[in-house]
Amino acid sequence: MNRYAIFILIAGLVSLTLIMASYSQEDMVTVDNSVFTNPQRTPAKFKHDDHNEAAGIESCGECHHVYQDGKKLEDESSEDQSCSECHTATDDGRKPGLMKAFHMNCKGCHTTAKKGPVMCGECHAW
Amino acid sequence: MHDIYQFVSGPMVWIAFIVFIGGSLFRLIQMLLLIQKKESFIFSYISLKYALRSIGNWLIPFGPVNMRNHPAVTTVTFIFHFCMLVTPLFLLSHIVLWDESFSIRYWALPDTVGDVMTVLVIASCLFFAIRRQKMADVRFLTSASDYIILTIVAMPFITGFIAYHQWGSYPFFMVLHIISGEIMLMAIPFTRLVHMLFAPFTRAYTGSEFGGIRYAKDW
Repeated sequence: MNRYAIFILIAGLVSLTLIMASYSQEDMVTVDNSVFTNPQRTPAKFKHDDHNEAAGIESCGECHHVYQDGKKLEDESSEDQSCSECHTATDDGRKPGLMKAFHMNCKGCHTTAKKGPVMCGECHAW
Repeated sequence: MHDIYQFVSGPMVWIAFIVFIGGSLFRLIQMLLLIQKKESFIFSYISLKYALRSIGNWLIPFGPVNMRNHPAVTTVTFIFHFCMLVTPLFLLSHIVLWDESFSIRYWALPDTVGDVMTVLVIASCLFFAIRRQKMADVRFLTSASDYIILTIVAMPFITGFIAYHQWGSYPFFMVLHIISGEIMLMAIPFTRLVHMLFAPFTRAYTGSEFGGIRYAKDW
């Protein structure tokens, strides 16, 4: 194998890693709160990949859920959408408004698992 | 900490509200029965008009002569009572919890305003404590229970302030904040904090006597 081939192979691997990293949520440190007008608290601390590793979450649909007729569809997931596409500012029947949806999605699981933050300032740290 | 938080923010809240509401009803019924037994003549001249006139006048800052004679206490007491009632009821983080539990949602104070009002409550409590020590006539009427009651009232605000600013151990102060709020709620019917329930009746009694019998103002 000549030097050019090795160089191209390494360059290829590096760019592949970079492309994958840019598509992953590795650099995410807070939940995007830009849709909220006049938020009173800091955006919730959240490291996507670290969280899922610690929580042992494999399926995207675990958090990025899809509900139909009040039931969670087990095989569906919604990570290609924004949360605000379904969850509007205020409640819509049984569908919680955006802020409540975030709170319930995180705290609900943390309460059941007895792990992870459940009090305001544990996520909304100054 | 999960189990402690779940307990103080779950069953303990129910216990606190049951004791507060049940205890308040008990104290009100007990008071009315006592009036019936000992001072039933009050029913011969109690008047809604004079009761509301008296309550209304005593709600006006610096309206009653007694308030004008004591400007410092009057100023602090109005700031204190307003802030200590409005802050917990209209605090965003409290409403968020009402919303999550019962879908009860209403207008909230900006956090900064709540923060300032909390400081005003704490400062007022300090003022009341110092006043009890420095003024001879007030000191004469002061017992240990007065300081205990003042502490019960100040604690939810002090711990809430510390928790909001996330000083020290956040979960510790958060849990302490919830517990101190529950203690205060449960203390209302069974300590002199019961004036929250009795004050309108005291004013109604005095107002009716001054208005209907003595033909005089009671403010």
